[in-house]
Amino acid sequence: MMPSTESERWEFLEMIGAYAADELEGEEAGEAERLMLETEDNRRLAESYAQMLALLSALGEETPEAPEAVVNYAIRRAYVSAAVRRADSIMRGLAIDYLGALVHYLGLRPAQQR
Amino acid sequence: MPRPARGNGLVSVPGVSAEDRDLIVRASRGDVEAFSQVVRDRSGFVHRVAQRIVGPDKAQDASQEVWVRVWQRIENFRGESAFSTWLYKITVNACLDARRKDQRREARELPEEPPYLPETPTSDNDPESSALNRERREEIFESLEHVREDHRAALVLRHMEGLSYDEIAEVMDVPTGTAKGWVSRGRASMLVALSEKGRPGGDGEAGGRP
Repeated sequence: MMPSTESERWEFLEMIGAYAADELEGEEAGEAERLMLETEDNRRLAESYAQMLALLSALGEETPEAPEAVVNYAIRRAYVSAAVRRADSIMRGLAIDYLGALVHYLGLRPAQQR
Repeated sequence: MPRPARGNGLVSVPGVSAEDRDLIVRASRGDVEAFSQVVRDRSGFVHRVAQRIVGPDKAQDASQEVWVRVWQRIENFRGESAFSTWLYKITVNACLDARRKDQRREARELPEEPPYLPETPTSDNDPESSALNRERREEIFESLEHVREDHRAALVLRHMEGLSYDEIAEVMDVPTGTAKGWVSRGRASMLVALSEKGRPGGDGEAGGRP
């Protein structure tokens, strides 16, 4: 029998889930085992959890390959990004050189301290 | 083409071979060739995790976003954690962002009936019973859709990726107790969603499933 309030039902469900995942120890494990012995419903709930966890685990064993499009996209983006950064760096260098030349041409360069 | 030197302070890369370490160091200095090899070597890992967190339909977009972020941030990778943990973190965050953009889930009340799954034959001698057929795989991914995104990510990391709670906490940047709570609630939410697929009027009935 499930507890009556929603928060109690979540708590109950989570405890059975932790038991099915073999994550309970000590008193908590004892309490869960007592609930298992209490009703067939509780045992069935634990079995449902175990079934679900087995499905997740089986799916976890699979190793899907990434589509080639993902790999190509990532590499292409990196090349474009690196080229843009390089161009940006060159342009900044040119701009600084040009500004320096302009300052020199206009005679605005501050007198160098000796 | 290498980026300008940025003085990367990366001194070690835990959990990888010397060859991989060299690749990661070069990639972190802006070497696109090295980065390309990192992508080729780990694209399966990223795609797998993305598929589990956002579902097969959105896994490609999420994976692409992950690699964009990796390229942007790899220069900041200092080797303080394992490279796989760092990659998990970027992947999980990109997937959570993708899921948050696409909020189709509705807040569900917990039904009063216990969430049982229909019993299935599970004889060890019957490979078909244990095989994950397409229908089952779809059921799992559809049920995961109903789990709150951070709970889902934690559930995936625990029960599909096999991470410990401490590792989940590090990847998701939360205390270990929070990681445990998210996995626990994710497990319960998924069981509820999965059981509803098998009930009359449940999601799974719409397609006329026996």
